[in-house]
Amino acid sequence: MDFKKILVAVDKSENADRAVAYVGEIIRDAEGFCIELLAVNRPPQRDLFPDQAAWEAQAQEQTRQLEAALEKAKDILLSFGTNLKCISIRIMDSTDPSIARPILEAQREGEFGTVVVGRRGVPKSEEFLFGSVSKRLVTEARGFTVWVVE
Amino acid sequence: MPPTVQELLALYPPGFTVHEPGRVVTDTTEFHNITSGDVIAAGGQHYLVIRDEAERRFGIEDPKFWVKRCICLENRESKILKLVFHESFPMQIGDMEVACYRSPDKESRILDLVQGDWRFMQGFTVRDEAGNNVRVLEMIRGRRLDLVVDAIEADHRSYVREHLPGLLEQYLGSCEAIGLLHAHGEKHGDIRRDHIWHEYGTGRYRWIDFDYTFDYVENPFGLDLFGLGNILLFLVGKGIRSAQNLSPEESALLDPGDYSLMYGYRVMNVRKLYPYLPRALNDVLMHYAVSSEVYYETVDELLDDLRPCLDLLPKC
Repeated sequence: MDFKKILVAVDKSENADRAVAYVGEIIRDAEGFCIELLAVNRPPQRDLFPDQAAWEAQAQEQTRQLEAALEKAKDILLSFGTNLKCISIRIMDSTDPSIARPILEAQREGEFGTVVVGRRGVPKSEEFLFGSVSKRLVTEARGFTVWVVE
Repeated sequence: MPPTVQELLALYPPGFTVHEPGRVVTDTTEFHNITSGDVIAAGGQHYLVIRDEAERRFGIEDPKFWVKRCICLENRESKILKLVFHESFPMQIGDMEVACYRSPDKESRILDLVQGDWRFMQGFTVRDEAGNNVRVLEMIRGRRLDLVVDAIEADHRSYVREHLPGLLEQYLGSCEAIGLLHAHGEKHGDIRRDHIWHEYGTGRYRWIDFDYTFDYVENPFGLDLFGLGNILLFLVGKGIRSAQNLSPEESALLDPGDYSLMYGYRVMNVRKLYPYLPRALNDVLMHYAVSSEVYYETVDELLDDLRPCLDLLPKC
């Protein structure tokens, strides 16, 4: 697995921005790296909305926010001097309740040697109730490296 | 011209006098205005409203205006009608505030899923003339699980020997029922000890109220698993032992890691208080303790640890 092929999971959070900045800080304008910025677009739960229109509006807003987050992430990398040609962005639509599983799927498909993810740094209690993307990635990672950026 | 309530009552006498016949309601949107004596017409049936339902928790009566105790005039069966009420509200879990949502359609899906499965309340969904979801639920004649346990008059050691094996066996079935929901991508959403009812006559333990839901990050079932652990703690301890009701001697036995991860005052390491409890059963509870580094993520994981405990309990 080529560790210079880096998959960075991006969402609209500051944790993701930190992860991207960490990658930018390390890679800068080094040659031979390939960085994919990936946003998993899991639609909001329909049950949380009183009607279809409200749900669709939120789903569209979420997609827009993820697109913006990816552009922002690209700009962060560029600000560290990373070559534009090394950067790709991707929104992956998913209905999987897990966010980690689509990231792992993208890793397998793209044969990324490194996966980078931000960590929310939530208390144990919150992690217990709602789960942790970074924890699942670390638990299920086989044959590649995971960077968890806090 | 649709029939009036008086005409319906004449056609289908309910077997008792309705002192103030109201109106026939075909649009349940304004559920606050639907009161005793009204008749809700939906799905080809007529439901005479007796009263609003209420939930009693912590000694306080909480009226649920969107839930109507009714009698189906066509067959005189008692029914609960749940009408559409979308709300979101913060639920306090320990120090955390969790945004909860009420979803009628979620409950309808689960009612369809568990049709004929007596581990759950039963019912079906019809639509009123305005297209509103109306859930028609069968009445469960029985008692809440917490009241069943509270009513057992025994010291803890006797309770563990004489009552806990039976309760735990039933509870394993209740956990398996939640596993069935999860296997279908559904969550209960509000797992509490007063949401399992022990049915008179059949002795079945049945889950009620499936309309809560909540957002999550990675594990959609974490909150359900947390609820299952809470009930297990209640069953094993014959109530919750909390820091406030410990004797000084008992307090001295406990470390900070022995308390609940969510509720810092609840004792999870109950074996320190009741040393006759099987270690394996206590180990299950300790997955919910501050000191735990590994949490249950699936009902199967919980059951794999819990099932063997049944054989470890002291027998009568």
